[in-house]
Amino acid sequence: MSEMTWLSKSTRPRIKMTTPFGPRNPENHLALLRLDGSAKETLEQGRNRLVMAGVIFAFCFVILAGRLIGLAISGDGNSERTASDTDMSRPSAYGDSMRAEIRDRNGILLATTLTTASLFAEPKNVIDPEELAAKLATVLDDMSEATILSKLASSKNFVWLKRNLTPTQQYEINALGIPGLYFRAEEKRFYPMGSLVSHVLGFADVDNHGIAGVEKYFEAQLSGSAETPAKEVNLSIDVRIQHALRDELSRHMSLFQAIGAAGMVLDVKTGEILGMVSLPDFDPNRPNDFSSDSKFNRNALGVYEMGSTFKTFTVAMALDTGVVGLQGGYDATEPIHKAGFRIRDDHPKKRWLSVPEIYMYSSNIGAAKMADDIGPKKHKAFLAKLGMLDKPSLEIPEIGAPILPPRWNSLETMTIAFGHGLSVSPLQLSAGIAAIVNGGAYINPTVIRRDEGHALIARQVISEKTSDTMRRLMRLVVEKGTGGKAEAAGYLVGGKTGTAEKVEGGRYKRDALIASFVSAFPMNDPRYVVFAMLDEPKGNTQTHGFRSAGWTAAPIVGRLVSRIGPILAVTPVDEESDAIQKAMFVPINSREKKLASF
Amino acid sequence: MKLNLTILSLVLVSVVSYGLYQLSYEVQKLEKDLGSLNENIVENKETIRILKAEWTYQNRPDVLQALAAKYLPLLLIAPYQVAGITDVPDQTIDGKLGDVPVPRHNPRRDYSEPEAIPAGPIQLATFSKSGSLQ
Repeated sequence: MSEMTWLSKSTRPRIKMTTPFGPRNPENHLALLRLDGSAKETLEQGRNRLVMAGVIFAFCFVILAGRLIGLAISGDGNSERTASDTDMSRPSAYGDSMRAEIRDRNGILLATTLTTASLFAEPKNVIDPEELAAKLATVLDDMSEATILSKLASSKNFVWLKRNLTPTQQYEINALGIPGLYFRAEEKRFYPMGSLVSHVLGFADVDNHGIAGVEKYFEAQLSGSAETPAKEVNLSIDVRIQHALRDELSRHMSLFQAIGAAGMVLDVKTGEILGMVSLPDFDPNRPNDFSSDSKFNRNALGVYEMGSTFKTFTVAMALDTGVVGLQGGYDATEPIHKAGFRIRDDHPKKRWLSVPEIYMYSSNIGAAKMADDIGPKKHKAFLAKLGMLDKPSLEIPEIGAPILPPRWNSLETMTIAFGHGLSVSPLQLSAGIAAIVNGGAYINPTVIRRDEGHALIARQVISEKTSDTMRRLMRLVVEKGTGGKAEAAGYLVGGKTGTAEKVEGGRYKRDALIASFVSAFPMNDPRYVVFAMLDEPKGNTQTHGFRSAGWTAAPIVGRLVSRIGPILAVTPVDEESDAIQKAMFVPINSREKKLASF
Repeated sequence: MKLNLTILSLVLVSVVSYGLYQLSYEVQKLEKDLGSLNENIVENKETIRILKAEWTYQNRPDVLQALAAKYLPLLLIAPYQVAGITDVPDQTIDGKLGDVPVPRHNPRRDYSEPEAIPAGPIQLATFSKSGSLQ
């Protein structure tokens, strides 16, 4: 520009034009300009500057032209186009970036991520706060006019009024048509089943990061990363079984005024956990409203001295190692006195008891003597094979490690034989029982669905013959022994009761019991292990004041099995038929003429 | 000749540029459509997700149990109520008409055509004896 202005000034060089041969001479008219020395120089300079300016302008126009061509070819190049391009390469674009869903074994939704609208206000733009609060309170039931007003009174530019509205609420607020209110889309983890599967699922925090249960364990898979898309998780839980289990547990928990309850249903052939309930539980949609006690998973995290259910392992070990046969037995007349402890029977018979009798009448003396015969070393090794001494592995982070006795000698072996001195979690116990009844193969339990053809890693712990005998013995307990209330017509339930005093501060509390019942059904070909436990049950008039497992925990299993049997497609059988009687026969070899009643 | 060429090229330029702009506008419109379609798809997917969650929520087992207890005369399945297909006895039909069960009362037997509306001017609606509106 400066060249132009300079040229237009009045002080521009004067050009003198002279024609030596006259103007009309056509031959020499090209070389006619003759300039004076200084004027010529200035003109040259001006011309150069003109050329420079022309080049710059031409360059600008070329760029503009190029941009025009580019625009004509590629469109306006806004973000919509790039978005649609990615959509084409990945058809399911929506939800891919979201946290993946969790489903049960039948594909029923257990956890999903929803885009919800959150309501915020800009108090400066609100014209009439009173009117707004009055109108808004009609839509948001859980917020009073006063709280809305107090939020609007703040001097901030931005105030959250309510996070995560339902679509209906959003529609109604839109319909109110109040200025100064705005929505922002947020992602929210939603658990449609509420507290039903709470302990297995766990929960996610406000930023959608799993902080408990499966949500935490599969955090990487559920949230996905730049390279791998988020992938949904299929649990082995069946919500129908889970519901029946929770229903029965909560009913009996209130019936016996227990402070807690736990239950599991485990597939003995695949190790899949079909139901796992710990009460009290919480709603993962609003975990902050619940105490830490309700978030405690009694099945996996809690370890308890399980009591007489451990006699199953003692008897299986004795039969498998051949220390004692089914015909053999021990004298249970007198309590055992050892190292200042007294081991006595809860259901004393005060006579010689055969092995089936020891098991069905739950004789502590008999079991202790049996384990003593085997010896601490073998006992420890056997329980280790059944996974009782190591922290189990399951796809949730809340796993409790067993509490082993500080030393393991003859006395410890005798007490552990009937389930005292070693604390294990119900999960460990159920997995161990599954190995005892399924033919002797230990399969690691899982909460993830194992599809047909999944390569199972099974570890043989007892022989198939011992396993078969143990089934008959467990059936005997329900048929004639302490677990009679666990009977479910047609489903051949077999199991073992376990009543243990709770340990608190290193001492046994006489008034606080753990009543548990571990069972399997149908006993002619076991398919499922069912475990039920009540924490500190109290007796009532129906149980004649008794609070032992046979009265409190066994009925849970009985009712539960008749509920879930049809769902699990277990064909009921006639218990009285010859084939079943033969399959479940076990010689009791009692030295008493008449079977004592229990 | 020169004039013709100029006119021809002018016409050509205007036709080509018209076509080009037309094409460009069309592409822009299609792109806008595609964008809105994609937006719709995302919106629909979001809605489906919400509806699926809602459906699961409404089908919680405890809700279904309460509803079944209220409206259905169903109890737990007793073992005697379960049978396999082999337990069903074979039944042979020998082709005689008498053996084939027929409903004792055939509702269509008593059915008569409703009376035709008489032709003519507008009639007031009245209830006939049989209860139908005429």
